[in-house]
Amino acid sequence: MRGSLVFYHPTTLQEAIGLLGEHGEEAKVVAGSTALTILMRQRLIAPSVLVSIGAIPGLDGIEERDGAIRIGAMVRHRDVELSELVRARVPVLAETFGVVANVRVRNAATVGGVLAESDYASDPPAVFVALDAEIEVRGPGGERTIPARDFFVAFYETALEPNEIVTAIRIPIPVTGSGTAYHKFVSRSSEDRPCVGVAALVHLASDGTCADLRVAVGAAAETPQRFPNVEALAVGQTLTPELTGRIGDAYADAIDTLDDMRGSAWYRTEMVRVWVGRAIETATDAAADRSAPG
Amino acid sequence: MTATDPSSPRTSPRPVDGEGKISLTLRVNGSAERVRARPNHTLLEVLRNELHLTGPREGCGVGMCGACTVLVDGRPVSSCLLPAALAEDHELTTIEGLEGPNGELHPIQEAYVEHTGFQCSYCTPGFILATKALLEECPDVTRDEAKAYLAGNLCRCGSYVKILDSVMDARDRVRG
Repeated sequence: MRGSLVFYHPTTLQEAIGLLGEHGEEAKVVAGSTALTILMRQRLIAPSVLVSIGAIPGLDGIEERDGAIRIGAMVRHRDVELSELVRARVPVLAETFGVVANVRVRNAATVGGVLAESDYASDPPAVFVALDAEIEVRGPGGERTIPARDFFVAFYETALEPNEIVTAIRIPIPVTGSGTAYHKFVSRSSEDRPCVGVAALVHLASDGTCADLRVAVGAAAETPQRFPNVEALAVGQTLTPELTGRIGDAYADAIDTLDDMRGSAWYRTEMVRVWVGRAIETATDAAADRSAPG
Repeated sequence: MTATDPSSPRTSPRPVDGEGKISLTLRVNGSAERVRARPNHTLLEVLRNELHLTGPREGCGVGMCGACTVLVDGRPVSSCLLPAALAEDHELTTIEGLEGPNGELHPIQEAYVEHTGFQCSYCTPGFILATKALLEECPDVTRDEAKAYLAGNLCRCGSYVKILDSVMDARDRVRG
């Protein structure tokens, strides 16, 4: 019922975690509120307690540390998009955050929020999974780290315990000689959520063969989809159109695609086939540019 | 010491009055406004219903159309998605905040009038505020860049060509 809601503004993580423990299922963490407001308006959720984490210091930084870019949970999408550090070190991440929704949503929506919401049709999760990112969370028992591939469990469901809070994400900086890409395929308007989103990383060896391939497909199923056994087909090989086509086919076969207003399951399967190949090609070109002498 | 010590303001809920409302202080168009609102009221609801600032309008209610655009610390956001309780401690600007001390139009508004960058004008405050943020971020913006930046503002009359003409003229007026 409207009006039965109470707001808390804790200023430490300990306080926030304590409030979540105290109120249990009734409580939700609120950060940018772009998703939360809609979910509440549509009566899909009806929390009676909102715990704002916006006043907690230390959650809003972007820094390079130990070969990774670490982004705090309260960092806005737009700040990832415009960050010079992110653009220089993990450009695909800036590009991906830059294609989410529209500039107003990107000014409000946070990195912690897109993780904790686990909406299958968000753009960043596929990139996080492809880049082997790790999510830092804090709960009553202290901190732990969850690999991105284990974090997204199902529709709007994550590996977070009820009283755990996302505090940051660490994205390893791709090694020299790697190229990355995120292809967002939209079936309606330019600022829509993806029908299919494909993140790819290609690492080329000095002889031009593929040393490492990673492909994660978002928005096609409940969670980002990655198949190491298919990726392995590329290792030691030259990424010819024939080979990327086979990898696209294998992803299309492997993913149990879903139906929604952005595309039927059949259509999504065909789009996975096409866009996996294109993402690998773009990432390969980027890798070749980066490893070119001079 | 526990995390839920009731004496701590951070770990107690915001006080609610007999009508179930909380007290908020919003800094809107340069002045501090004290308002009472339900904890789940959005900034849009409070601006329109409590402060009678009707420039921001509700269009889609889900952050897609831009009719409710408000600048928060100079950055456009959808006020239909932002709980008013999270808008404290920020500088808020609505279209009403653009007029000069004697009611004169802002150069961006003049450009929109000059080029008739509107028909019904429901979307116009949102477009003008988005244009303001765009020109502050990117004073030499190109037409294509403006098109990309404004892609998330919808004009159902379809005045996009004239809106882009207005933005390009506004750029020249603001840049001088």
